[in-house]
Amino acid sequence: MMRAGALAPVSFGSCSAILGARFMQAVSGPVLETIGVSKRFGGVQALSNVDFACRSGRIHALLGENGAGKSTLIKIIAGVVQRDAGRMLLGGEEVVFATPREASAAGIGCIFQELSLMPHLSVADNICITDPPRRWGFIDGRAQRHIAADALARAGAEDINPSAPVSSLPLSRRQMVEIAKSLARDPKLLILDEATSALTAADVTRVFKVLKRLREEGLAIIYISHRMSEIAELADDCSVFRNGQHVATFPAGTKSNTEVVEMMIGREYSHAFPPKPKRDLRGVQPALETRGLSWESALRDVSIAVRPGEILGLGGLDGQGQMEMLLALFGALSGVGGETLVEGRPVTLASPQSAKACGIGIALIPEDRKTDGLMLPMSVRDNLTFAALDSISTAGIVSSRAENAAVADMVKLLGIRMGAADDAVGTLSGGNQQKVVIAKWLLNKPGIILLNDPTRGIDVATKQELYQLLRRLADEGAAIILYSTDYYELIGCCDRVAVFYDGQIVRLLEGDQITERALIASALNISTADQGDVLLGEASL
Amino acid sequence: MSELVMQLRRHTNPAVLTASGCIVALLIAGSFYSANFLSPNYLLQQLQVASFLGIIATGAMIVILLGHIDLSVPWVVTLGGMMATAAAGWWGDLGAALAIPFGVACGALVGLINGIGTAYLRVPSMIFTLGMNAVVQGLVVVHTGGFAPQDRATEAMHDLATERTFFGLPNALLLWAVLSAAMIFLLTRTTLGRKIYAIGNREKAAYLSGINTRAVTLICFVISGAMSALAGVLLAGYATKAYQAMGDAYLLPAIAAVVLGGTNILGGKGTYAGTIVGTILITLLSSILSVMQIEEMGRQIIYGAVIIVMLLTYGRGAKTQG
Repeated sequence: MMRAGALAPVSFGSCSAILGARFMQAVSGPVLETIGVSKRFGGVQALSNVDFACRSGRIHALLGENGAGKSTLIKIIAGVVQRDAGRMLLGGEEVVFATPREASAAGIGCIFQELSLMPHLSVADNICITDPPRRWGFIDGRAQRHIAADALARAGAEDINPSAPVSSLPLSRRQMVEIAKSLARDPKLLILDEATSALTAADVTRVFKVLKRLREEGLAIIYISHRMSEIAELADDCSVFRNGQHVATFPAGTKSNTEVVEMMIGREYSHAFPPKPKRDLRGVQPALETRGLSWESALRDVSIAVRPGEILGLGGLDGQGQMEMLLALFGALSGVGGETLVEGRPVTLASPQSAKACGIGIALIPEDRKTDGLMLPMSVRDNLTFAALDSISTAGIVSSRAENAAVADMVKLLGIRMGAADDAVGTLSGGNQQKVVIAKWLLNKPGIILLNDPTRGIDVATKQELYQLLRRLADEGAAIILYSTDYYELIGCCDRVAVFYDGQIVRLLEGDQITERALIASALNISTADQGDVLLGEASL
Repeated sequence: MSELVMQLRRHTNPAVLTASGCIVALLIAGSFYSANFLSPNYLLQQLQVASFLGIIATGAMIVILLGHIDLSVPWVVTLGGMMATAAAGWWGDLGAALAIPFGVACGALVGLINGIGTAYLRVPSMIFTLGMNAVVQGLVVVHTGGFAPQDRATEAMHDLATERTFFGLPNALLLWAVLSAAMIFLLTRTTLGRKIYAIGNREKAAYLSGINTRAVTLICFVISGAMSALAGVLLAGYATKAYQAMGDAYLLPAIAAVVLGGTNILGGKGTYAGTIVGTILITLLSSILSVMQIEEMGRQIIYGAVIIVMLLTYGRGAKTQG
């Protein structure tokens, strides 16, 4: 598919190789440097005073657990969010990017996990979408195909036809188009944020070959991945982030896995957790059990059991199947394979409606309370009783008295702070909104409670109230599954933690085994038991 | 500050107030033109005419509250009138007795199909109901084309639409009042009403609360179809016969009435009182425009402009706050 375009004036492939080489000779300093960059989102300091630099001809890996600040840094570099303080130098000159377009024009290419392609347009249309070649004001289709063919060749995907619609390509090939699209803009710096997570092993190998070649050509590459083996193969430099701070940068291969995990640990912590009761639940029949649960590629053969009185944690990095697990248990996914048992009886969970009514009752506190948990413009009262309407109504007519009593009970039980029950629930603070979501399910008296990261974005005082509440509910006999992206919460709250990796449970930690180190190591699917095994950066040695 | 605004919002409904103000202003302006505009007889007559539109708007509103729209109104209205009169022709006395329920049932059936298409087949309601409108139109044409069905309204239809049996009030107005009371009760006091608002606000959250959102959507479309057909039955009674395209003039005014009454066109927000006020306003506006001898096309332009202005003023915003 490589066309004669190599000699055409629009041949970006050959141009950039020359440019890259010249760049290396002219500038020995970093391609991109940040000095004292900070960013705050509401009450959360996402980045504080970060100094970071990446150089041409090197692949720089960013490491850190959820919320460590990697993504925020990338977004600042790519112009998606604006920094609050600090400076950014590109090729030694200070730059400010108000929009991703400006960053892209300055030579920063970004490839994210979520694809940015238009499925119904052709590959060439997509590659040239921001600045198509024109002739007399119209898009020059032939020049566009040349550009696309060159970019694809440079991305190692010569076999993709530039005229094919993107929707005809499988997912992993689309990711190659995405890479070609970035390359067509001739970047100085290429950022890949979890860009390989959707690829097949064969495609990962191809992408790696391309990245290594681009490195030879003099590109600077920032690479974010949760797969340690990929980082080991690719990276020249590694930077570890923790709690919004840049902890260390070191040449790949100079630190052991254990040392890296140590560096990632240590988020500040001030939560107080209620004591965990010592109970032996081994003989008790599980309230909820799954056998070989699977769903598309997100869940693979997951078997867990949770008993009344127990809080089971779901650990691991973001997006390893925990969310799908909760949705599957709540009947919100279709086509789930495997078996689910409630109190020992097999059940079919076809919808949240059936999950709610099933046996001892299942409740899900969803991830995003604003979109999934609440109807924000509706009143606190309407929201609070919505999942339990049947219990406060007869023959479909709501009893105001029963409703007000139920609302008053829950407001008191959870200490919901609000003006009046008629106020729109959107006027409450985040913590109180979350209490309303929980209260709405407690009205149903569910025997099984699933929580999807319930403390995200709420204040510390409310968090502590929620921890107390969860333990109290467990003590009263509820079986609880808690997914949290905050490791300390898993350590403080849970009796057992199932760590997910790539849709599977890779480790089940119990009691004293639940430590930061064990959680992070299992989340990355590595073993820290073998001290000193140097895994990072074998490829670059 | 924002709390104060919320407080004010909760206790007063600006759209209902504005629309009520417009009604008063129209009547006063009209009274300068002719004193008849304030006579009880004229007002009752207007309310009688308004009740046809009001019944259609009731169905339109319940679907709009869900965040959907029913564009099959015109030919479901026609279908209701045609089927009711035809029933009397087909089945003699029995048919005459069953004419009204049969006409309404035909509309409900179309509503059921709309509901299945929207809730279960997941076709956007705007497309599906528009398609159904064309299908129903075709069926009605087939029905009237092959042979000549009876198109004369039955005695009962005529009485319901035009007589004043109780207290000198038009029967159609009383019917609208009863339906309005039922609708207000449905929307404010029943679990179904709560679910309708919830789905209109955030269907996903309603689904994840264990609500059978599809069934609720289906029910609302059935109600909408039945209401349109009922209005068709009344219109046939009022005009003493059913005729083709008799519902064509009602889609835009019905949606205008709902929107004028402050119902969010994207769903989730609105009071039935608003729809009543909106219906009366539209009817008065139309009547005064025709008295002032402004032609149909002028009225259409004014309707359209009024809807757009009201949308700009009230119909959006609340939903985007989330």
